[in-house]
Amino acid sequence: MLKSLVARTGILCRLNLKRDGLKLLIWMVGLAGLFTAIAAKFEGIYGTQTALNTIAKTLKTPAMVSLFGEFTAKMPYTTATIFATEMVVFMAIMMIIMNIMIAVAATRGEEDTGVLELVRAHTVGRLAPLLATAIELTSLNFIIGLLFGAGLQLAQLPGANTTGNWLIGMGLAASGWLFGMLTLCLAQIATTASETTMLSYAIFGGSYVARMVTDVQHPKLTWWVPFGWIEKLDAYQTNRWLPVVCMLLLGLGCLIGAALMSYQRDLGAGLIAPKQGRLRASASLMGPTTLLLRQLRGTLSAWVIGSAVLGAAYGSIFNTIGDLAKSNPMIKQLLGTSALVAANRLIVKQFIAVLAIVLVVVALIPAIQIMLKLVSDEQKGILHQLYATATSRWHVWASYTGVAVVTAGIVLLAGVGGMYAAGHAVMTTPVVWTTYRQVWLAYLPAMLVMVAAASVLVGWVPKWRYLAWGWTFYGFLSLYLGRLIDLPKWARQLTPLGFVNQVPVHALDWSTNWWCLGLTVLLLGLASWGYRRRDLAQ
Amino acid sequence: MTQATPVLKISHLQKRFGKFNALTDIDFAIYPGEVFGFIGPNGAGKSTTIRILLGLLKANGGTATIFGQDVWQHSVAIHQRLAYVPGDVNLWPNLSGGEIIDLLLKLNGDQHTAKTDALIKAFSLDPRKKARTYSKGNRQKVALIAAFSTDADFYIFDEPTSGLDPLNEQLFQTQVLQLKQAGKSVLLSSHILSEVEKMCDRIGIIREGTIVETGTLADMRHLTRTTIDVQTVQSLAHVAELPGVHGLTVKAGQNHVSFAVDADQLTAVMQYLSAQQLVAITSTPPTLEDLFMRYYTAATPDRK
Repeated sequence: MLKSLVARTGILCRLNLKRDGLKLLIWMVGLAGLFTAIAAKFEGIYGTQTALNTIAKTLKTPAMVSLFGEFTAKMPYTTATIFATEMVVFMAIMMIIMNIMIAVAATRGEEDTGVLELVRAHTVGRLAPLLATAIELTSLNFIIGLLFGAGLQLAQLPGANTTGNWLIGMGLAASGWLFGMLTLCLAQIATTASETTMLSYAIFGGSYVARMVTDVQHPKLTWWVPFGWIEKLDAYQTNRWLPVVCMLLLGLGCLIGAALMSYQRDLGAGLIAPKQGRLRASASLMGPTTLLLRQLRGTLSAWVIGSAVLGAAYGSIFNTIGDLAKSNPMIKQLLGTSALVAANRLIVKQFIAVLAIVLVVVALIPAIQIMLKLVSDEQKGILHQLYATATSRWHVWASYTGVAVVTAGIVLLAGVGGMYAAGHAVMTTPVVWTTYRQVWLAYLPAMLVMVAAASVLVGWVPKWRYLAWGWTFYGFLSLYLGRLIDLPKWARQLTPLGFVNQVPVHALDWSTNWWCLGLTVLLLGLASWGYRRRDLAQ
Repeated sequence: MTQATPVLKISHLQKRFGKFNALTDIDFAIYPGEVFGFIGPNGAGKSTTIRILLGLLKANGGTATIFGQDVWQHSVAIHQRLAYVPGDVNLWPNLSGGEIIDLLLKLNGDQHTAKTDALIKAFSLDPRKKARTYSKGNRQKVALIAAFSTDADFYIFDEPTSGLDPLNEQLFQTQVLQLKQAGKSVLLSSHILSEVEKMCDRIGIIREGTIVETGTLADMRHLTRTTIDVQTVQSLAHVAELPGVHGLTVKAGQNHVSFAVDADQLTAVMQYLSAQQLVAITSTPPTLEDLFMRYYTAATPDRK
């Protein structure tokens, strides 16, 4: 019985490897290379005890805790303990994104395109496709974990030990794997690939916010958040394996849940029943733009709400962050009340400047996604229906580009607004809205350049459109970690986001804004020209 | 044949994909009130030709005009008076069939009319289901209903009935005949030869990116052979020696044979046969299928 359920899993595994091989290789080399390169660089950046003490002081501030987790390293600080604090949350985010992407494509993705139906029609066990994907994810995470461990062994950070190195490697592998298994589970509940992606990211985003709030206010509670377990490894100190065990157990639970649901359900169906559609189109559905909005309304509202919640979560800890007197009661007497308020406000502003990067990337993701949808809709043949009517190429291109640009602006506005609202509610002397508006104004033009660049890829070389993701990812990496890993200025300025100079700590620089807007217009002109003259996919 | 200005005119159309010559020489025209059958094996270039006509692909050489306008330059103006149904209909997954029909109509400035409702009923489509849950046949119905309720002058159907049941196929044929009676022009690409034979005034056969034959079915029949099964009183031993006779098979002795004869030699052969004193004779005109086979299995020239 069991044997027939998993028949031919081996063949499917090989097939998966053939299908995903290049993708897996890029992820493996990319993540392991990045991790090892940073580790190797770390000794140069934080080689002296003074440097270590300074960074430790920074990492202890609530702002940094909210980004990187609770600072648990004990004196004397070593390069290794600092590395463990700074790197695990960031690398875990990357691992989780990788797992969600691959898991969705291999399960619901294959089901949506009908490939799974073809596979299942052969002597292949009912659970074999699921199991093959689980094996693929497990091997991928395990190999990356090994590469991480090996990279740390090679880097020989001062203060490191072998157990700690492998603990970090395996811990990151386990946290990625856990979300991979969770996605397999969600793939059985949702009805389509995009629904699965949305559910997975909703849970991931929720856990990220939850761990941030608990880290800042009550680090012990972080144990209740699965995403927070990665912060509890305490590498190079007590070297705790318990979090890894927790992740493995929960992941296994998810896999079993996925298998049970997959066994029960119909092919192509989920637990969420599809609703009946409208009999007639509403009056508002009348052209390419409204058509696109009609398709995306669910996704777009999810992004806006998600961004607002994330912003609000950050804003809700502004009172904890912006209170120097809390950590040092003497300071109030030293500075005087008005000077203290000013100092507090500066800290909050610094924090806003760092957080803006997260909100910017969160807003860029749906914008780039919509831009690239212009190619995926074309390749699915959906746009052919549209082009057979009296609808011009320019009109369709402008709809997608316009919606992408507006999405970038609105999602960022929601994040900044959420931050303002929550900050306003918790702070005794809140930061004024103008400050937040400056952040929005400063980043938007730089974001538009990136959306416009994606549009150029779509118009001229649709095959290379994924470069837009690479660029966005690099932007996130260079800004989130850039200063901490001592990335040179030119390297940070490889994306237009790198030119935005720490607004709102520094003033908004209109000259940057103008050249960004000018470049955007230029790129969009180029993109629309290319899109109108090229062949559409067969 | 009508001598009016053609609705569609293609001359020496060429298309390359990298080094591959998808279309080397496409040449045909469609006149008002005409149903033109476009047939050819898989990969011959039918869909590529249609996609050039729709302005989705840009031709590398030659010209193609619809309503006298260039298909690439003036695609939007042309599409205002054109309706298209692809063989592989892909729809917006989270819109319902009813919404998509209305949208496609609106995009051409048309309205959802009583005719649309009648068509939805006739094709028995459930318009409230989301497009993602439709089968291939149902997706085709959505595109067909939208096309038939559009008030266009030129209709392009690319294998439109490949997923339909016989009842709906029948309905499709009736609808096309109505279009024809209303003086509209139709380009019908199909593999269902009975459908083409029944509906098309003229036919174009495409092979390896070239139009190898165009004309009415009657014209084409002249180019090919009639099969004759004949029984006579006197011996038919010398039939095989007559010019234009092919593939002789002996049915029963010397007096009952069957063979194929070239159209231009038919009179001479018939005279010979009647001289042998006929007992029974059946002649079968070449079917489209015979024509098709003859063109498709011919030696393939190098396309590279």
